[in-house]
Amino acid sequence: MKKIGLVALHEYRRHVFNRRFIFGLLSVPLVIILLVGLVFLIISMDNNTTPIGYVDHSGLLSNPVPVPKAEPPYKPVPFVAFDTEEAARAALDAGKLQAYYVLPADYLTTGELRVVHAVQIKDPARVQFYNFLGANLLKNTDPVIATRLVKGADLTVQSADGTRSLSSNSWFSFLVPMIAGIGFIIAMFTSGGYLMQAVVEEKENRTMEVIVTSVTPNELMAGKILGDTAIGLTQILLWILFIVIPILVGRSSLKFLQGIQVSTQTLVVMLAVMLPSFVLVAALMATIGATVSEAREGQQMTGLISLPIWIPYMLFGLLMSNPNSPIALVLGMLPLTAPVTMLVRDGLTILPAWQIAVSSAIQVLFAIGGIWLAGRAFRLGMLRYGKRLAWRELFVRSKPA
Amino acid sequence: MPAVELSHITKTFGPVKAVTDVSYSVEKGELFGLLGPNGAGKTTSLRILLDIFKPDSGSVTVLGGPLTVAKKDRIGYMPEERGLYQDIPLERCLVYLGSLKGLSPAEVKERSAGYLERFDLAEHKKKKVKELSKGMQQKAQIIATILHRPELLIVDEPFSGLDPVNTQMVKELLREQRDQGVTVILCSHQMNLVEELCDRIVLIDHGKVMLYGDLAGIRKRFSGNAVMVRSQTELPKLPGVDSVEPINGTVKLNLARGADPQGILQELARRKIPVERFEIAMPTLDEIFIRVVQGQEDPA
Repeated sequence: MKKIGLVALHEYRRHVFNRRFIFGLLSVPLVIILLVGLVFLIISMDNNTTPIGYVDHSGLLSNPVPVPKAEPPYKPVPFVAFDTEEAARAALDAGKLQAYYVLPADYLTTGELRVVHAVQIKDPARVQFYNFLGANLLKNTDPVIATRLVKGADLTVQSADGTRSLSSNSWFSFLVPMIAGIGFIIAMFTSGGYLMQAVVEEKENRTMEVIVTSVTPNELMAGKILGDTAIGLTQILLWILFIVIPILVGRSSLKFLQGIQVSTQTLVVMLAVMLPSFVLVAALMATIGATVSEAREGQQMTGLISLPIWIPYMLFGLLMSNPNSPIALVLGMLPLTAPVTMLVRDGLTILPAWQIAVSSAIQVLFAIGGIWLAGRAFRLGMLRYGKRLAWRELFVRSKPA
Repeated sequence: MPAVELSHITKTFGPVKAVTDVSYSVEKGELFGLLGPNGAGKTTSLRILLDIFKPDSGSVTVLGGPLTVAKKDRIGYMPEERGLYQDIPLERCLVYLGSLKGLSPAEVKERSAGYLERFDLAEHKKKKVKELSKGMQQKAQIIATILHRPELLIVDEPFSGLDPVNTQMVKELLREQRDQGVTVILCSHQMNLVEELCDRIVLIDHGKVMLYGDLAGIRKRFSGNAVMVRSQTELPKLPGVDSVEPINGTVKLNLARGADPQGILQELARRKIPVERFEIAMPTLDEIFIRVVQGQEDPA
């Protein structure tokens, strides 16, 4: 056991304190920051705070109630009253207004109004003006009702059996398992890629020959897989921190972030199903590394593992329309398809505990089998320099080389 | 009890017979030479010894019994192809390899300090292994092999890539190990070095043992058909001499079948030819190797 730990620690240190890993680790949050920055840039481009004028011939805004508060990240736009259209036009020409509205005398009966603008009014400013109009139309109504009418309904969709619901306020929670699934896949293949490459390199530069005179092939493979899993989990943990910290910081000012929450069920699925799946993928990557003679050859073979993992996303429509269908149930049990299927289903339904338990048990069994296979592939393939080990040999031959 | 004993080992890879009925033993505390041309089966026999390969038949005992996981910590193995992690600093690499043999990082650092100094690697210990020259990596590999003070040291081509100064250092190191009671198996193509260092050898060719035993005895067995003579006067044509080869001021007289070295000496005395040196020519290991491998001589 001690030697397994030593191998795992060596693998971990070798890859984690490496420029390539750090670059890969930072690239995801950097892309997220870039995307968020892009969103804020687009929002700020929409945030034109130049005042909007209005000329009211209807008398609705003769004694206006205050403008409802603009919701972040949008900034409030001042509204300026003009007595005549000429005065408003002069202000517009002078660049003091981005636009002005004209409410005709029969506005209350026709609802028609006119806007004159130098540049097209962006949605945030238009919405604020309409809210301003709405608030004034309802100024004699009960403020609670007025607010409800202006803000609209908060709809929660619930299934007939009451097992699942989705609120318009918590729409983002539905995406959390999906995003987590993608993150897990990226981490699995990044760290698994390191492992495969390490095994191939050690075969190529003969380090293996030295190592196996100190540890058994099974100890070596178990250590490597353990180290690789730790690398992947480090990656995921740091990504989670990169995501959670901005959410915690931003949720006080950005309302949509308040809907983001991770359920206990999601955490259980991650630990019980994704973790052993992670080990299984690592073991299969190590097996590939032990059977091929070049890293490039190994990378081509990883498609055999990645394809089943992505299948649930390909069948997303099917899973979404009926997350408890037999096919969803089977995909949730099979190795490789299980992790993403269970996460997607987790976002759509309440998973029965027995399904999580059975899926987890299957993944654990396959993970153990994967480690055994990796050890065997290593024993058979470690000294086949420049020659590939046929997969059928892994199951046919009884005596190691 | 021998430190290592291979008994009737046979190993095939598909249609290829890597070793056939190979037997040899290595005594405790000796420096033993394992020789053979490329592809002869030397490395396969070492890998069987180290339990990397399982033999099809035959048995192996190492340090008094079958090789166990615990015994691996008492063995140091340096393969022919160098096996160090290229992308980590040398010291970290030594610490890792040493820790797999049961040493603590502090022990590795303490023990390696002297060797790094001795092999002029101390100032390079923080460099990545790939930044070291081939010779430096070779020396680093040797250090990694002996750090845990093995009882059995197996070195495959330890002199390749070394300049004469470093070759001398490694030779001294191997002798030093032997003197400390370590059993050393030296696998090499460099016959002169094996001849210089080893007392006993085994020569494997085409997977079979061709020569095995005491080096002096083997040389003696292959001698007898030539004598070395040094004289200030030119030697006349002598009966029983097939051909004459001048070698560094000495003349090698290759004798005809049935001719006796004593007869040649008597003939020289009878003719009153002053002789400064007269000895039975002992073949070098190189010559024996070539003769055996090229099939000029029957195996022992």
